[in-house]
Amino acid sequence: MNPLIFTTILMTVLLGTMIVMMSSHWLMIWIGFEMNLLAIIPILMKKYNPRTMEASTKYFLTQATASMLLMMAIIINLMHSGQWTITKVFNPTASIIMTSALAMKLGLTPFHFWVPEVTQGISLTSGLILLTWQKLAPMSILYQISPSINLNILLTMAVLSILVGGWGGLNQTQLRKIMAYSSIAHMGWMTAVLVYNPTLTMLNMLIYIMMTLTMFMLFIHSSSTTTLSLSHTWNKTPLTTTLILITLLSMGGLPPLSGFMPKWMIIQELTKNSSIILPTLMAIMALLNLYFYMRLTYSTSLTMFPSTNNMKMKWQFETKRITLLPPLIVMSSLLLPLTPMLSILD
Amino acid sequence: MMTYIVFILSVIFVISFVGFSSKPSPIYGGLVLIVSGGVGCGIIMNFGGSFLGLMVFLIYLGGMLVVFGYTTAMATEQYPEVWVSNTTVMGVFLLGLLMEVMLVLYVLKSEEVGVVFKFSGVGDWAIYDTGDSEVFSEEIMGVAALYSYGAWVVIVTGWSLLVGVLVILEVTRGD
Repeated sequence: MNPLIFTTILMTVLLGTMIVMMSSHWLMIWIGFEMNLLAIIPILMKKYNPRTMEASTKYFLTQATASMLLMMAIIINLMHSGQWTITKVFNPTASIIMTSALAMKLGLTPFHFWVPEVTQGISLTSGLILLTWQKLAPMSILYQISPSINLNILLTMAVLSILVGGWGGLNQTQLRKIMAYSSIAHMGWMTAVLVYNPTLTMLNMLIYIMMTLTMFMLFIHSSSTTTLSLSHTWNKTPLTTTLILITLLSMGGLPPLSGFMPKWMIIQELTKNSSIILPTLMAIMALLNLYFYMRLTYSTSLTMFPSTNNMKMKWQFETKRITLLPPLIVMSSLLLPLTPMLSILD
Repeated sequence: MMTYIVFILSVIFVISFVGFSSKPSPIYGGLVLIVSGGVGCGIIMNFGGSFLGLMVFLIYLGGMLVVFGYTTAMATEQYPEVWVSNTTVMGVFLLGLLMEVMLVLYVLKSEEVGVVFKFSGVGDWAIYDTGDSEVFSEEIMGVAALYSYGAWVVIVTGWSLLVGVLVILEVTRGD
């Protein structure tokens, strides 16, 4: 793609999310979502094969439907409150419709079906932008309307997302689909605590974005999109096998690593609000997630399958230079002792 | 009839939307879009927005739909699908018509309709002369405000249009 046009379109994706996050008028928020959607389509279609075109079409259709539902909720809110500022949503129907629309944009169950298919059909870099940057805008709107969200609907969607994200990822060998199901599960964790303490949603989003960025960059670095090719990283760059191990365990939420911080805080917040069965279920279902991360680490870092001698000197293209990879790896694994600094997020 | 003109026009609006949502060939979709554009213009004009209605006719129908019609005519097939040529299309069209007729009967018969918001049958659709702003027309002031207080909206819209063109060129360019 022409570099100038590519830069323009990428800046428009940024601009769309910025408009969504900084507007106080519902119509501008809708415009921001549409601008975001319009501009990310050519980024998803960077390579021209039928798979990317199908993935971009699926993404466009689901997100456009979600924008339409959002517009309907905005208009119902306008009819009942008479004003366009984004505070809380004044009508239960409008609140439910808006929650469903934003859940469709995020990829929460029961609207999660597009996430694995779209993530699988596009290149690794586009998948990175899809799973990290595109989650910022809907989550910021959910944060802003969090006092008026119907708790039953949101918690149902959150718990089902954690279940689907864990269960659906069990049979996958394609790395992009694994990351997609991991995204569904993490979105479930984020929205579960949204009504109780929205700051923890933002904390979870921050740490999730760091970990997903790290994982995707490690995949891009070793140019691997399947478990099989990831298991050859011991041959290309042996150091990244350790890094993949650490980052995957951090994504699974294991204690000394920073992925444990959001889960710990969320479970603590939920139990403070006298719901005990719910965080127990959520923690148990997060084990499913941990299982398929562990399977990735097993084939990548922990074992080396018997191979012939000429496989030990693998021919490869020049290694890609990934910016910011070391700081990201450090941040996604070592942030746990900084938990008392959470108070700055208020 | 004139008191209920907005209701009638909005029923025709919905029927024409059903007409192109049942997916005949784009040429016939464009035909029904012309009807819906004209009827939409009528609805806006009944609320006092004569300038906006003119905009709909000039820019939407006379600009965008003409270009759409030309491009569709270039890309059309030999026997385009009408509403009666394909069972699926006709079925969907009739289903939409049936739902609209049932909704209209429900609105006409009952005293109060409480679907998502309550409105009292056909009564709320009639145009009342509120008589507040006799000095200036509200919608002209709205359009003027778009270019003064709403400069940011104009910038965002203009940028979206530019990026829309770039995106479409990029997507259809191929390799």
